[in-house]
Amino acid sequence: MANSESKEYWRWTESRWTNPDLDWKDGDIISAGVDVGSVSTQSVVMVDGELFCYANMRTGSDSPDSANNSMNWALDGTGLPLDKIEYAVGTGYGRVNVPFAKRALTEIACHARGANFMYGPSIRTVLDMGGQDCKAIRCDHRGKVTAFLMNDKCAAGTGRGMEVFADLLQIHINDVGRMSLVDVEPEPVSSTCVVFAKSEAVALLRKGWSKEKVLAAYCGAMAHRVVTLLERLGVENDFAITGGIAKNIGVVSRIEKELKVTAPEPSIDPQLAGAIGGALFGKALVEKARKKA
Amino acid sequence: MVTVQMEEKGIFDQFKDWYTNRHEYAKAWKEKGGKVMGYFCTYVPEEILYAANILPVRILGSHEPQDVTEPHIFAMFCPFCRDCLAQGLKGRYDYLDGIMIAQSCLHIRQTYTSWDLHIPTDYSYYLPHPMHVQSPQATPYLREELIQFKKSVEDWIDKPITNYDLKRGIEIMNANRRLMNQVYELRKKRNPPVTGLEAMYMVVSSQMTDKHEHNRELESLLQKLSTRDIGDPGERLMIIGSEDDDTEFLAMVEDLGATFVTDDHCTGTRYFQEEVNPSEDLLNAIAERYVKRVPCPSKDWPKRTRLDHIIRMSKEYDVQGAILIQQKFCDPHELDTPAIKEELEKNGIATLFLEFDVTVPIGQFKTRVEAFLEIMREEDLF
Repeated sequence: MANSESKEYWRWTESRWTNPDLDWKDGDIISAGVDVGSVSTQSVVMVDGELFCYANMRTGSDSPDSANNSMNWALDGTGLPLDKIEYAVGTGYGRVNVPFAKRALTEIACHARGANFMYGPSIRTVLDMGGQDCKAIRCDHRGKVTAFLMNDKCAAGTGRGMEVFADLLQIHINDVGRMSLVDVEPEPVSSTCVVFAKSEAVALLRKGWSKEKVLAAYCGAMAHRVVTLLERLGVENDFAITGGIAKNIGVVSRIEKELKVTAPEPSIDPQLAGAIGGALFGKALVEKARKKA
Repeated sequence: MVTVQMEEKGIFDQFKDWYTNRHEYAKAWKEKGGKVMGYFCTYVPEEILYAANILPVRILGSHEPQDVTEPHIFAMFCPFCRDCLAQGLKGRYDYLDGIMIAQSCLHIRQTYTSWDLHIPTDYSYYLPHPMHVQSPQATPYLREELIQFKKSVEDWIDKPITNYDLKRGIEIMNANRRLMNQVYELRKKRNPPVTGLEAMYMVVSSQMTDKHEHNRELESLLQKLSTRDIGDPGERLMIIGSEDDDTEFLAMVEDLGATFVTDDHCTGTRYFQEEVNPSEDLLNAIAERYVKRVPCPSKDWPKRTRLDHIIRMSKEYDVQGAILIQQKFCDPHELDTPAIKEELEKNGIATLFLEFDVTVPIGQFKTRVEAFLEIMREEDLF
């Protein structure tokens, strides 16, 4: 058996993809969005508003490096040189540190626009569950933000919090959601503060709770916390979730249950929403600039 | 805003210097032989202190993390009251001859009582101030309390405060208010010649300097402002909330291309908007001013008079967006926020709610403010 101490249970799978049906040489506007988040960085390249390629990887300690690395990986094997990208938008907390971006926009604007692309123009409420914070966003049919709320400076209800739990319980982050649904539904842990919840979880394990049950309690608490954020803002249908936690069925299903809504299944990795929004804004900015010229 | 940097010496530098070097200023003032009174709330009638030739200095925090107040104030009391007490416990106000407060909220009163208990000063005074300022009995109540307070000060300085002294006190305070109102009046212009940050330095410094000197600076400022043009203000914002001298936050917002054109803060308009109308009975006139001023939310009930006031101001200053910002755990403000937010939005003004702590998480706030400005900016994104 591998030494469990050295295993990185939190490490989610990095990925890259190229659209096999698209040739960038046929495109008119090539735009890109780079979302440098606190935990992950995504680079998305779009050709005339269609997904061409992307990369999704872990953010390093240096924002410009993270942006460059993810873009290089996204472009890898596509034959598309970086300088053919007409307009790149930086977003996420490292948005001003994307060396090749012409413009920085907030991840709030970009996630709303991205969700509009991914789930359609009927989306009115977007929950972005990111690595280090969580945002409830209301938007119109174009994906333009009309209102938003952000959680406070705390890792509760975020990807980072979930990573800490995966590590504590030695369950791979990809399996957390599924495993949280197998045991009976317990009361949520009383604290979502990562530090307190961690000690609470240890106490529950000592009490004889299964790991699955502890995970269920934590996912339940996390869901409840973001639901209160959403309720403060007001939820209008349709509702969608973006960000890494959108891939955690344990949290998503509990949010849906509490809110009595259904979030559509993502057909594209929901972690990409911000970068997609950025790339679409890049395209719009090129179009407007051309019109003016 | 570009031209601001081109002025040879910033015309607001003096205010900023006073604010930044508040302790040095007060110590130097004291050298000349006067007494300095630290006060905790803008309900303190500075007229009486000026009448007694005492320098009133508002005690403010320093926005540094600290760990000295833990034994004295609850952690769920507002960061401002803890920050203020920390200044006392660290000895930064060791030059004060006295401290005083006028009753407003429990949090800052805890700072006062704790200070009184642990940091020795020659004089201290708790001025009861009516909470129910909408009652017709509020002015007579405060008048009686002002009589007691005046007596107490007279005993302390061992000198009577004459009617002539009181008139002088009122005049100096009124002049200061009038001048600052004139500066604010200019902010209504299409291109305001003053940024929100500059206005904040101006008002906050007035709470800690000799108003004779402050008035002279204001007069010279007004002359320079008549020809000053700092260009397009971008989005016209109003900032509303509790005590706020967070210059770093204002600078961050204005760096994003918007301008604060007015405020409802006790470090802003709530401090200076109304003058005392001198009448035969001067203490009554002073009492009336403090009862009828734009209230702190801790006193604004049962009717929420600030609602109409804020809407009126937002129209006068042509405000597009309002940032509602308060000290964390400030219940009076928090209670008013939903109503104010609703009323503003009904009037077509976008709002953003934020909570202050001792230090401001500038990165996170920046994302929120940028997103807020993006909502107001249609631009070329769609």
